Amino acid sequence: MRRIWAQTRKELTQIRRDRLALVLALVLPLALILLLSTAISLTVHNLPLIVQDFDSSSASRRFADAIRASLSFHVVSWPSDRSADDALLANAARAVLVIPKNFGRDLARGRTSEVQLLVDATDSNTARIVQGYINQITQAFNQGLSRRQSSDAVRAQIRLWYNPGRDSPKFYSPGIFVLGISMFPPLLAALAMSKEGEQKTILQVYVSSITAAEFLMGKIFAFMIVALCEWLLSLVLLLTVFGLRIAGDPTPLIVSSVLYAFCVASFGTLIGAAIPNQGASIQAVSLGGFLLVFLLSGLIFPIENIPAGLRWISNIVWGKYYIEIVRDALLQGGGWPSMWFSVVMIGVIGLIFFALAWVHMRAMQVSA
Amino acid sequence: MKRTSRLRILIRKEFNQIRRDRRLMVSLVVPPTLQILLFGFALDSTVSNLRLGVVDYSHTPESRELISSFTESKSFRASGSYRSVNELERAISESRLDAGMVVPYPFAREIHRGRTVDVQIILNAANANTATIGQGYAAGLIQAYNGKLAREGIRPVFRDTGGFSATKTGSVTPVTAFLYNPGLVNAWFIVTGTFGVLLILNGSLVASTAMIKEREAGTVEQLLMTPAGTTEIVVAKIVPIFLLLITMVLIAIGVMRLAFSVPVHGSLVIVISGAALCVLSGIGIGTFISTFSKSAQQSQLMAFFVNPPLAVLSGALTPVEAMPAWMQPITWLNPIRHFGIITRATLLKGSGIDVLWPHFLALIAFTVVLIAISTWRFRKQLG
Repeated sequence: MRRIWAQTRKELTQIRRDRLALVLALVLPLALILLLSTAISLTVHNLPLIVQDFDSSSASRRFADAIRASLSFHVVSWPSDRSADDALLANAARAVLVIPKNFGRDLARGRTSEVQLLVDATDSNTARIVQGYINQITQAFNQGLSRRQSSDAVRAQIRLWYNPGRDSPKFYSPGIFVLGISMFPPLLAALAMSKEGEQKTILQVYVSSITAAEFLMGKIFAFMIVALCEWLLSLVLLLTVFGLRIAGDPTPLIVSSVLYAFCVASFGTLIGAAIPNQGASIQAVSLGGFLLVFLLSGLIFPIENIPAGLRWISNIVWGKYYIEIVRDALLQGGGWPSMWFSVVMIGVIGLIFFALAWVHMRAMQVSA
Repeated sequence: MKRTSRLRILIRKEFNQIRRDRRLMVSLVVPPTLQILLFGFALDSTVSNLRLGVVDYSHTPESRELISSFTESKSFRASGSYRSVNELERAISESRLDAGMVVPYPFAREIHRGRTVDVQIILNAANANTATIGQGYAAGLIQAYNGKLAREGIRPVFRDTGGFSATKTGSVTPVTAFLYNPGLVNAWFIVTGTFGVLLILNGSLVASTAMIKEREAGTVEQLLMTPAGTTEIVVAKIVPIFLLLITMVLIAIGVMRLAFSVPVHGSLVIVISGAALCVLSGIGIGTFISTFSKSAQQSQLMAFFVNPPLAVLSGALTPVEAMPAWMQPITWLNPIRHFGIITRATLLKGSGIDVLWPHFLALIAFTVVLIAISTWRFRKQLG
């Protein structure tokens, strides 16, 4: 135990003296959370829209005003003699709404009038949202037309739970928080470990009385402390800047965070032990810590959308389980009944990393 | 004459060095291909098959019809029915459901009496995008159900008010046409965006490695003793990297075409020349980073500071219109933003240079400025 602690202290001293490492471990994650959580969002608003009014009646102008009044669009002007397609080709607008001739007359006669909505679908998600917004605006417009009580038989009372303001940062910031913890502590751990291999200082470890397991534990413990410091700072940021609250029982979050710190520190140490080259181990960590966690853990887009051939990989991506837990703890508060499996999986994956690191550490001894 | 031949010899030297560096060659081909494939397949924002739980207090043919109109759509799928609202709420909070629907007891009776009945729909809005789109789906399905009731004449809505045509009011129906991507394939958006990110990130990585190598090996002094000027040294280093990266551009276009069937409606010349400018800006960024670091590791770590903002503030993976208003203008300072617009407009829409020229001008400006600054920094370091 004393030897483990000595090893930990040595690692922490090394990190403290390396200015770049300190910035990487504690400042960059916070900057990333702030930047990425504000920038990443799919719920567009204030989109440029062109209204081509071929009717110019009072009814058509009222309809155009209904669209102008919504926060979802801003109406840009476009010469009426140029075709709507040109506007989309020139990126002047995301959509064009064409109000046909006789729009006002049809409405007055009690007929249904069809307006045409041309949407630039290069961004398919935005296109879907545009369609939804226009549908909602016309629905409200129709209700205004039939001044009487709503003639609809069934009315949907839609309740949005856990994030009623549909605030994107509330969903993405927990994910970015996990991304930061999955990337920087293992990066430092891998650098520290591969440096031992690269500079052959590992030989000094072998001649000392410390065992391989103790040496690894010491290193991992040090980077767990780094990870948990980062965790604490980032969590404070989430709670203060992004207005998240711990919903429900905090124990799953606390237990899993310690396990996750162990998991990522072991991952970094494993990479460092397996690849005794600093440049290559940086790339390996950014592949495992960044790409896998960014792409295959449901950070931005739902996992269910990934084709089945790739989707199974996400079951072994440690970040996926931790993202589930953090989102649950900060938004839903499902607690242990819904989260116990994810907590166990993080522990299991962490132990596998530790075992592999131990195997590689012994192999390192042979090659050194 | 002498100058050009000296430059040519230097370029050949750099070419030979790169050719012998197997790892660099591999890293130019494998990661871009893999990244385009991974990003294109793994990032898909489509909202479909939301797990819907139902509490049906009504138990009538009418309520079952409403429920099946939801579960038979592609947007929702049946994920069990619950006996009470409490059970439904628990299932949503434990993430076993994405959405819930509560049909009240007097549902069928109220419909036949011509009154309006409220159906409660609960959506897990933790993910704002899912909630926005799911809300649209639910509203659309309810609207369709109402339309069906009206057509079947179950609700004689206007009968009670005397003169039929006089009081009947018209309504507006939007008919939507999705242009350029009628199948709403999300991968087209992601892949065309990833393309630019890839060029800049890989370009800067390769360039910074190549630039720093000479310094690490301590052979810069030898180069300086030759009659070649520093500008020549820098140019000779950039040319072979540039040519190699252009092959990467072609590979990436091939992958987009073959794996994702991205259409090519415009001219490929526009895309490739945009890509060439993008690669040059990437090289400029890489060279710039390398002048601040002492070793390859350090410049790799520096890239962690530069890459995320470049990739995220570009509109490559998420729409710029969804960013806060103060952040949107910043994206114009990002070459990836301009290149993304060029690629999407050319490949998917078939736009020509007549509308894209401002973005080309911007890319040229970035390239010139970045290359000039990095050459200047490089020269200062050598001096």
